[in-house]
Amino acid sequence: MSSSLILRSSLSKSILKRSIFRSSMQGRFLRQATSDRFAYVPGGPIYKGTVNDPTTFPPPSKTHGSYHWAFERLLSAALVPMTVTAFATSGTNYPLFDGILGLSLIIHSHIGFDSSIVDYLHPRKFPVIGPIIRWTLRAATVGTMVGVYQFNTNDIGLTELIAKVWTA
Amino acid sequence: MLSTRALGLAPSLRQAAFSPARNHVLRNVIRSSITKRSIQTQSLKPEDGTTILNKQRLQRPSSPHFTIYEPQLTWVGSIFNRITGVGLSFLLYGFSLAYLVAPGTFDSTHVIEFVGGLPDAVKYAGKFILALPFTFHSFNGIRHLLWDSGKFLTVKGAYSSGYAVLGATAISTIVLMFQ
Repeated sequence: MSSSLILRSSLSKSILKRSIFRSSMQGRFLRQATSDRFAYVPGGPIYKGTVNDPTTFPPPSKTHGSYHWAFERLLSAALVPMTVTAFATSGTNYPLFDGILGLSLIIHSHIGFDSSIVDYLHPRKFPVIGPIIRWTLRAATVGTMVGVYQFNTNDIGLTELIAKVWTA
Repeated sequence: MLSTRALGLAPSLRQAAFSPARNHVLRNVIRSSITKRSIQTQSLKPEDGTTILNKQRLQRPSSPHFTIYEPQLTWVGSIFNRITGVGLSFLLYGFSLAYLVAPGTFDSTHVIEFVGGLPDAVKYAGKFILALPFTFHSFNGIRHLLWDSGKFLTVKGAYSSGYAVLGATAISTIVLMFQ
């Protein structure tokens, strides 16, 4: 009775040990394969706080909602006749038009850059480089505005430059 | 009782009476000394649950996304609208900042002189590189504005307007190249 019990227990123990070994090996290989292929990026599926905390939303702002959208569309639509006009006339004859076109192009570019940063370098995923790039863009936009103003004031202006370089 | 003691049967009877219990005790001793519980328990704090869950969530594979789609005119046109726009904006920002930093080097006279001195092949290549994104972004931008106003929002509309944009881009690029 007792000998058979010893035999049974030792047998089951060895089987158990082997199965534990096998499952741990499998688990290790599987984990390695998945973690290699799907490396963690910040902003991944981890919880901040607990499972019972509600999702956080950005604070509501009219300038980030439909107004922003409508402004983008109006600016893009306004650029269509402005581009046609730039082909028809020269900026040197109408410096005010040259100034408005330059400013519109810069704001249009800034919005385009900004939405690209929001899409590809969101601070949720890129907590350091995201804000750095966003502030770099803001500084570059201000610098570009000053540069275009200087060029339009002290030189021949953007439309005239493009026209002359094109036929140079 | 008296008779059993008198007969001398007490030891054997006692053994019979106690032997199953003794056997049971022996079995328990053997079992506990040989076998071990394979399941171990561990006490956890309530907040440890979130830590374990987060560790598990990091093991989860992410779904395949745009790489599994075949290139189609709809989304390829959309991403090229962004790429061309960013490229042209880089040129605007680059030139304006360069003029801001070094107005003596990047003034119109020097730029026109530099471009005028380039060989014809480089001029045509440069015109092509500039005209293609400019015309594509302009025409596709109009297409996007038409979508935003609710037009061409069918599959047929998306494709016919897409081919119209490609055609207009090709023609206007060639026209601008030989200006």
